[in-house]
Amino acid sequence: MIGTWWKNLQERCQTCSRVTLSAGVVLIALVLGGVLMTGGAAGLAWTNTETFCIGCHEMRDNAYAEFKDTIHDKNRSGVRAICSDCHVPREPGPMLMRKVNATFELWGAFVTHVIDTKEKFQAHRAEMAQKVWIRMLDTDSLECRNCHNRDAMNEEKHTEKARSRHEKAKRENLTCIECHYGIAHSEPEGPGPQELKEARLKKK
Amino acid sequence: MKRISKLLIGALALAWLGVAGAASVDEDAAQSLAKKSGCLKCHAIDKKKDAPSYKSIAEKYKGKPDAEEKLFKHATSNPEVEVDGKKEKHDSPKTKDEKEIRNLVRWVLTR
Repeated sequence: MIGTWWKNLQERCQTCSRVTLSAGVVLIALVLGGVLMTGGAAGLAWTNTETFCIGCHEMRDNAYAEFKDTIHDKNRSGVRAICSDCHVPREPGPMLMRKVNATFELWGAFVTHVIDTKEKFQAHRAEMAQKVWIRMLDTDSLECRNCHNRDAMNEEKHTEKARSRHEKAKRENLTCIECHYGIAHSEPEGPGPQELKEARLKKK
Repeated sequence: MKRISKLLIGALALAWLGVAGAASVDEDAAQSLAKKSGCLKCHAIDKKKDAPSYKSIAEKYKGKPDAEEKLFKHATSNPEVEVDGKKEKHDSPKTKDEKEIRNLVRWVLTR
């Protein structure tokens, strides 16, 4: 039926048939593009879920096991953070870069098995932690500040200790991660955020 | 003579087990208590934070026979400590079980 219609159109009006063909191609391209974009966005969103992250036993049995029952997992208000809240940037550019880096991590997971045992994970723990800390030093702990807004903090509800520490942070221009590390995951051996910052300042 | 040697070996073995048992550290339990009690908010294992690292504390008390008692008292008596020139009370572990606290203290001393 469509074939007959098309044949008739071509016979009656060459220009009309060309315009119709072009419009059809554009429409199909738009639909395909829409499907790809929606599928891509859905795929990216899925890779940000906790279920996806702990699909790998390396994460489930190590990083996630440590994270369970910490304050970012269970607390009074029930507001919790998942892996992507702290480890995946929200800005599109850095987020896409992180996803590209993650594909190399797949290589490490499925081909070279870099951290597939507790011992290997422990051996690489410091390296993994320092990568995260360095990014946080560079971005003024952006992922922390996505949820914890300094300006929105009601200091009257802070303990004396917290108030005193945060005053020090303001005075000395410290970023969150310089004090608040080893909260969600076990602390590795080696230099921490403050030591890393000092080492970088000495290099300059 | 053989019987005495056997008794002696048995006694030594029991004594060694007693010492080993007393000195052994349940790492997981200690870390869990440290996390639960908020110790790690101020103390890192071997890095800079507001309070001395556990490694530096272990260094300070190395070889001292009363190390465990002193630290146990420090951990349970809420003494005043100085942080950045300000005095504040030192928190205690969130448990009343002495064995758990001593395990934590021994864990610190073995960093």
